[in-house]
Amino acid sequence: MATLIQRSDVGEFRKRYRWLRLFVVFAFLAMAVRLFVLQVIEGDVHDAQARRNIIGETRLATTRGVIRDGLGRVLASNRPAYDVHVVPSQINLEETWPRIAQVMQLDAETEKRLLERIKGIIQKGGPRADQSTLLSVDVSRDVVATLETHRGDFRGVRVSPAPVRSYPYGELGAHMLGYMREVDAEILAEQPDAGYRAGDRLGAVGVEHRWESYLRGQRGFQRFISKKARREHVEALQKRYLGGDHLEDPTPGRDISLTLDVDLMRSASDAMRGHLAGAVVVVDVRSGRLLAALSKPSFDPNAVSGGSGKEAVREAFNRYYSDPLKPTLDRTISAAYPPGSTYKPFSALAGLEGGLLDPFGRVDCRGGYEYGKRYFRCTGVHRNVNLHDALVQSCNTYFYELGSRIQIDSLAEVGSRFGFGAATGIGVNPEARGRMPTRAWYTRRYKGAFRGGFTLLAAIGQGATTVNVVQLALAYAALANGGTLYRPQVVRSIETADGTVVQDFPPRVRRLVDVEPRHLNRLLTGLAGVVSDRDGTAYAERLEGVDLAGKTGTAQVSQLAPRGSDQAQVQYFHRDHAWFAGYSPVQSPEIAVVVLVEHGGGGGKNAVPVAMKVVADWQRLKAERLGRKAEAQDE
Amino acid sequence: MARHTVSFRGGPHIDMWLLIVVVLIASIGVINLYSATSAYVGAGHRAGLADIYVTQIYWIVVGLLLAMLVAAIDYRHFERLAPILYVGGILVLMLVFVLATDVRGSARWIRLGSFTFQPSEFMKPLVVLMVARHIHGDHRTEARSLVDMVVPLAYAAVPTAAVMMQPDLGTSLIYVLTTLSMLMITRIRATAILTGIGLTATTSYLLWEFGMREYQKNRIRSFLDPEADKADTAWHALQAQTAIGNGGVVGEGFMQGTQNQFGFLPDQHSDFPFAVFAEEFGFLGCLVLLVLYCFLALWTIRIASQAKDRFGAAVAVGAGGVIFWQATFNLGMSMGLLPVVGVTLPLFSYGGSSLLTMLICLGLVMSVSMRN
Repeated sequence: MATLIQRSDVGEFRKRYRWLRLFVVFAFLAMAVRLFVLQVIEGDVHDAQARRNIIGETRLATTRGVIRDGLGRVLASNRPAYDVHVVPSQINLEETWPRIAQVMQLDAETEKRLLERIKGIIQKGGPRADQSTLLSVDVSRDVVATLETHRGDFRGVRVSPAPVRSYPYGELGAHMLGYMREVDAEILAEQPDAGYRAGDRLGAVGVEHRWESYLRGQRGFQRFISKKARREHVEALQKRYLGGDHLEDPTPGRDISLTLDVDLMRSASDAMRGHLAGAVVVVDVRSGRLLAALSKPSFDPNAVSGGSGKEAVREAFNRYYSDPLKPTLDRTISAAYPPGSTYKPFSALAGLEGGLLDPFGRVDCRGGYEYGKRYFRCTGVHRNVNLHDALVQSCNTYFYELGSRIQIDSLAEVGSRFGFGAATGIGVNPEARGRMPTRAWYTRRYKGAFRGGFTLLAAIGQGATTVNVVQLALAYAALANGGTLYRPQVVRSIETADGTVVQDFPPRVRRLVDVEPRHLNRLLTGLAGVVSDRDGTAYAERLEGVDLAGKTGTAQVSQLAPRGSDQAQVQYFHRDHAWFAGYSPVQSPEIAVVVLVEHGGGGGKNAVPVAMKVVADWQRLKAERLGRKAEAQDE
Repeated sequence: MARHTVSFRGGPHIDMWLLIVVVLIASIGVINLYSATSAYVGAGHRAGLADIYVTQIYWIVVGLLLAMLVAAIDYRHFERLAPILYVGGILVLMLVFVLATDVRGSARWIRLGSFTFQPSEFMKPLVVLMVARHIHGDHRTEARSLVDMVVPLAYAAVPTAAVMMQPDLGTSLIYVLTTLSMLMITRIRATAILTGIGLTATTSYLLWEFGMREYQKNRIRSFLDPEADKADTAWHALQAQTAIGNGGVVGEGFMQGTQNQFGFLPDQHSDFPFAVFAEEFGFLGCLVLLVLYCFLALWTIRIASQAKDRFGAAVAVGAGGVIFWQATFNLGMSMGLLPVVGVTLPLFSYGGSSLLTMLICLGLVMSVSMRN
């Protein structure tokens, strides 16, 4: 056939086929190698991933333990609350969405923002669209009821229980209790085995934080084969992939009983009304248990624990952190202050022990003390005073005289024996350890120039000496109980949810302070005189029937007002701290009380009334409870 | 004349090895399709796909008959007919823009009664014929320069341009790579190859900057860094790799692949049938399949090398090239070696247009092998 092409030369191609063959073989070898890697070497990894794809896991929520006070009143518990989620891929944006917005009473702006987010997720596709997206937290009961009863009309909407931590006493004792916060990325990354997942809440600050591992409980889980599995396969798949362990019940958290007494806390709070900032600590001198620990100003843990949504929490924190009075600071433990005259009993003890102080020897106070080129002021002109008079009237000159004779290290040594300058071991919240300055410390701090004046200031609890409120309370408790320094205790016992005590914490003695009874008695007589003697610094503010001994203090403040303060604020921040530290009853002490009114001015006038009221309430409560017990026994 | 046109009577001339391997691959494909689409049983809007393995059998039968018909015709007739077929093909390809049915953002299909078909598929053998015709007519002995290759590349470029506008990256790649493979059997100057590589690089850059749609770019991006965006494009590629890896050495067993059965594979009947196969039959099963495809490619080269004229050799290389490149790209993208470009696995993936095209190509190869 003429039209058909002629045989042409194919010789040109001969050598080229080899290269084509080589290329083909190489391509298929490469694929075989890749398959080997995927299926044989990395097989396990992909197998695990495929398993994760088909096995779903529902987390079964646990309940956080309840925190109670010493008399069983609930301080922190869980309030049932519900979150609303939507599954973007399942929701009908035209019909269902407007109804959801209406039921949940979303304002136009929020509704638009949420709708945009859902649309974004749908557009992006992928697995995210099939997962729940949080719409709103802690919705009202009405909304829950509507959504649940008309479940058929709200396809793609899920209501899930998400209990919110609730603190019935609000601000009262918030620093000791703490609050809840969302787990952060750092913890998730650093403690992968702790079992937290994004969105979980954990205790922040206080008992909630320190006892987190007891309170949180253990979450359960239920594993199941994906809903996409066909019914006839489910059983075989379960057998193959789930084994027997696809259900684990949650374990509820442990309950915790504190040593605190809410009534006494409230009394302290009431007594502090009228003061901007300060702290009150009441401790049982026979055990070191804290009966009240109040730090003012406080914060509302309900506002920051997440119930009302992230925005509200952020807002609350902004408010607290911008407050110059620092409401989140625990003034009972986390801050150290100069103790002022409340420290005098310990200086006196150092003097008595060193034989430098004759309890009957007199010093003539003319309103001050000349030492070297400096003149150290007293609070007044006390004339001829002995040790008792000096304590009762809080005469500085007497203690300057002591300071001029004693070594500063002896003062520090006695202070350290009573627990100053070291952590108390309370175990809740970070501790400001305070400072007992020594010669070595001054030498380090002032580059070798130690001056005797430092010792004079240390003797009246000023200068570089600082203490925290709990330290001072425990030290006074040790004076009152004859020398037993206890470790402050906040947690009394741990119980299971049904009330069985798992662990009971007995009082722990930190140290038996070696102190001679005759020295101690002289001091205690002095402290009693502060309140009962006509010329005592607390005498004017005494209340009828209140059995109290102690020491006032007015501590000069050396720190500056926060930056940006106005004139009134500067004046406030430069005012002295008012102190009172004491114990009750005078004859057989049961409690020690320390009151600090930050920038409150004179201790006698400002701190004593607070202590009086607290002790009065303590006496009343004690009587009431004894009466009730007696009644109960009668019946 | 009869000797050339009706050589079908010489039964022994049929390339039995070729036929057996083709039928083998297609059969495995149907079995795999049965498993792949069982996931769709009662699966809402995709339930209609559950029975397509039956349709696939019809297409295989029709395709094999068509292949026999093509094989029966002396391939040298196609040398004469090539220009007419080619122009006709281009015209139908253009029709897509007028009549197209939109599938996921790209218009590739033409509806013809109750059938839809994809003209760009049928264009593949027509490009092969046209380029082969050019190689046949160009029997110089000296090495070709770049200028000499402008004409055959233009044959590929016209449908490529049309397909890119649909847009369909995978098919255009097949046109170009097949044409280049065919040209590689002629002698080419080293400088021409180097310049060609340089030009390709420049063109790719320009394409990336100005020619590609965002979803195409995303596919390539996700290939380059699959971990970066798990929710989107890369999700598909990663799930396919998980399926393959889940197969392990011996596989999960027929109908037992969880990735497939639970719907974690996207388009497992058309784009990712290999992932289904690999999950259920494991590394050993995959090796068998790879060997079959490798055999197919090497066998067509062998047939080309035995062809008695330039046209026959070029047709065999071209038709084999279409199959080789599609197989390589589909397998490669399933395994994560190549970006997801959406080409079918020859003889294995579901789809009438694809299946008929592959079998027509094999018919051409067979025609050449019967007349060496």
